[in-house]
Amino acid sequence: MCNTTDINREMGKHEIALNYCSNKHAVQKGANPAPKLILDGEVVEFVAGDTILQVAERAGRGHLIPRYCYHPGLPIAGTCRMCTVEVEKMVKLMTACSTPAADGMVVHTKTERVLKSRAGVMEFLLINHPLDCPVCDKAGECDLQDNNYRYGPVTSSFLEDKRTYPKAATKKLSEKITLNMNRCVHCERCVRFSEEVVKSCDLMMVNRSWHKELTLADDKLGLTSEYQGCLSDFCPVGALTFNDFRFVKRSWFLQRHPSVCDGCSKGCNIEVHSEDNIIYRFTPAYNEKINGHWICDTGRLSYHQVMDPTRIVRPMLAHNGALQATSWELAQAATGHLLETAKKVKVVIGTDATIEEIRYLQAALPDMFGSKFTFRSFNGTGTLSTSSQDKKLDHLLIMQDKTANLRGAEECKLAPLENGQINDSDLVLLVRFGRSAVPAVGNGQKLILLGVWNSAEQASLGAAVEVMLPGLATVEKSGTYINCDGIRQQFIPAVVHLGEGMAVNRLLRFTKK
Amino acid sequence: MMGEKILTKYIAEQNCQTIDFYLAHDGYKALRKALSITPDAVIEEVKKSNLRGRGGAGFPTGMKWSFMPKNPVDADGRPRPKYLVCNADEGEPGTFKDRLIMTKNPHALIEGMVIAAHAVGAVRGYIYIRGEFFKEARLLQRAIDDARGQGYLGKNILGSNLHFDLFVYRGAGAYICGEESALLNSLEGKRGEPRLKPPFPAQVGAFGMPTCVNNVETFAVIPYIIEHGGPKFAAMGTEKSGGLRLFCVSGQVERPGIYELSMRTTLRELIDIAGGVRNGKKLKAVIPGGASAPMLTAEEIDVPLCFDAMMKAQTMAGSGGAIVMSEDVCIVEATSILLRFYEHESCGQCSQCREGSHWLARMFARIEAGKGTHDDLITIERICANMAGQTICAFADAVTGPALSAVRKFRSEFEDHIRQRRCPQKAMLRAPATDSVRGQTHV
Repeated sequence: MCNTTDINREMGKHEIALNYCSNKHAVQKGANPAPKLILDGEVVEFVAGDTILQVAERAGRGHLIPRYCYHPGLPIAGTCRMCTVEVEKMVKLMTACSTPAADGMVVHTKTERVLKSRAGVMEFLLINHPLDCPVCDKAGECDLQDNNYRYGPVTSSFLEDKRTYPKAATKKLSEKITLNMNRCVHCERCVRFSEEVVKSCDLMMVNRSWHKELTLADDKLGLTSEYQGCLSDFCPVGALTFNDFRFVKRSWFLQRHPSVCDGCSKGCNIEVHSEDNIIYRFTPAYNEKINGHWICDTGRLSYHQVMDPTRIVRPMLAHNGALQATSWELAQAATGHLLETAKKVKVVIGTDATIEEIRYLQAALPDMFGSKFTFRSFNGTGTLSTSSQDKKLDHLLIMQDKTANLRGAEECKLAPLENGQINDSDLVLLVRFGRSAVPAVGNGQKLILLGVWNSAEQASLGAAVEVMLPGLATVEKSGTYINCDGIRQQFIPAVVHLGEGMAVNRLLRFTKK
Repeated sequence: MMGEKILTKYIAEQNCQTIDFYLAHDGYKALRKALSITPDAVIEEVKKSNLRGRGGAGFPTGMKWSFMPKNPVDADGRPRPKYLVCNADEGEPGTFKDRLIMTKNPHALIEGMVIAAHAVGAVRGYIYIRGEFFKEARLLQRAIDDARGQGYLGKNILGSNLHFDLFVYRGAGAYICGEESALLNSLEGKRGEPRLKPPFPAQVGAFGMPTCVNNVETFAVIPYIIEHGGPKFAAMGTEKSGGLRLFCVSGQVERPGIYELSMRTTLRELIDIAGGVRNGKKLKAVIPGGASAPMLTAEEIDVPLCFDAMMKAQTMAGSGGAIVMSEDVCIVEATSILLRFYEHESCGQCSQCREGSHWLARMFARIEAGKGTHDDLITIERICANMAGQTICAFADAVTGPALSAVRKFRSEFEDHIRQRRCPQKAMLRAPATDSVRGQTHV
């Protein structure tokens, strides 16, 4: 079933995955002198092999050319005809997405003819669109909406009944994605994505002409890929919506801040969408070297872990054999006392901690309490302890190591925990941020927990826990991760933590008077 | 005028489709001659003949062949095979000439394809035949088997070092698969949707290899050109369009059918040859080159049926299927029926074509039903302007051709429909008009 409608493959340019278009940059750079074209009266340099639209994007003028079927991460289809521009010496209007740029070309994107053509396409796309923006989740970030404001006709002369797809009006394609076929503009980004990028080939078009319809390749199977959320990201209309976000929030209320996904060692770049510091979704942020335009669904849904109602966000102290919420002063004092009195302390840091946190612990603890500390890292996901054992689980992004900073821990010379067991110490300081597994702790050792824990994880350690000090999750703090490919990524807080959790350096500062 | 024939010379004879009959009438002689000369010489001969593609676009065949790369290699330096594809997806309404060739003269097609394979260096040929042509596909298959049995196909054809074989591939009933790149997609087993061009099939065609796609009739006249020489063929036609051509005449004429005539013949002569308009009625309109061509009125038919003259008359020679409409025909209804066909057959890839063909069809049906408004005529013009020339393939132009020409040339009929809120033609045929049409109005 894996058919490609793509000309790139036939031309032998089919080089994959993250980004079809930016791949070309690297390959063909260095043409000397660089070819130039004139875009709306301005001379723009470009790289041979670019299409007009890519040239415009490179020059920072991509917004001049509207598009539906074109997506930089997908093969070029050239079917929506929205991106037409006028090229001097060419009779017809040319689609910017598919016309290769040539040296000396003169391109106009704002002529009357072009605007007329765009208004025409908009009119055609809108005649059968339900225009249910008030109840559509895409409203506010919808290409159709945006382009209509800019280029569309004011009124419609369509007197006929609108086309409807009765049976497929809202159809669940999987647990994650809902399809509303009536809203579809048939750009087929989703089909090309499933065929060319994730290669799951689970979406296809059936029928032709105006009743052309998007369907599943196998109705029983549904969508099978791990990247279903991306369908809703790049769907230019509200046809494919992500169930997790559906009817949850209007997009214009959301604030968007960049961060890094800590779901695996890939370290995909994300955008955190929140309102009043409540996170509503993660979406991918483009990074050519790491994740391209995509993130996996596990990463996308991992904001639930940050917003988890069972996450412990208040300091806790053991009292009469059970942990009870307390104030920071008491918790810090208790921590200081425990660290002061213990003879042998093991500090086990999950590989989901940032480099700064590891370095701080390595420096500050011996400085405050003397050299009774041994530092170990712990990963515990996917039975690996060093980054060399890490491997890809699919052809795109997902890695076996489910923590974000194993390589960072190695850079800090943190040795992995022997046998995944903690033994032979009086006191264990267990630092993790919700991603690395919980190590097994031998009997007779007191425990201080630090970082992001939910109540089940804390309960699994039983009565040995003396103090629980809540920390900050990745999107709430700043720091540095080194991903599986050795790329160092710094990030800043995307949201403000809503509980009482504190950054590691603040939280340990007052443990010693 | 009705002198020499090329393809239809023997069609009245019995068993004319058999290989024995074909061989008895100088069949496969041209192939021997072609194999004795170089491929370049064959192409040169075809160029001299001024043969232009008979499928509709009228592209010079010799030039198309010369576009095929000589020794194509892929990125690793391995040679890429070249393919030959025969477009037998004859779906254009009003056209039925290829069907005749395949049923009555299939060996001319096969011989033409082998010669073409020699000329362009193809290793394999596919005949993409329309899905509805079931009987024709079987006949063609038998003809291919016969030719293979006698050594005209297969390895070392006629003792030369030409290896070439032919395969029949049946389509699944989509009009758009007559467009060459949609045909190639369909041949590969994909959705029949036209590809972006460039790259053209001569560079990246079937299965990503250089491919030459020609119409049935184009291939079928090749043996004649090789046997009798290009100049003789060229002399039969006009200056730029050489040779004879099969013209299909349908609609309200006395003797509808296929006529093999010179490209010099005018449309009026063609209608006269077909017996004139049926029952002595007056002529109202002609669609000259298959349904996609803009209509001509009764006053405009004194044009030769060659590609250039037709272009000058703002229509096209197309596939050579003339649909004749007498004064009894309601142009609105006729166009509406045509548009219903196009609405159904658009591949749905490009926005304009998918939505526009649908919109136009609905609008024409509404006007025909007596529920049109004067604004509709303005809207039709606008829709057509937004569609034509803006899509990947020429389908959108094919939709707008008849629609626009009907509205422009027969505007009064549309206005009558709108004003009278009914179809005047139908009202005339039926009982005296009452005010029975209700349920409009958008004024």
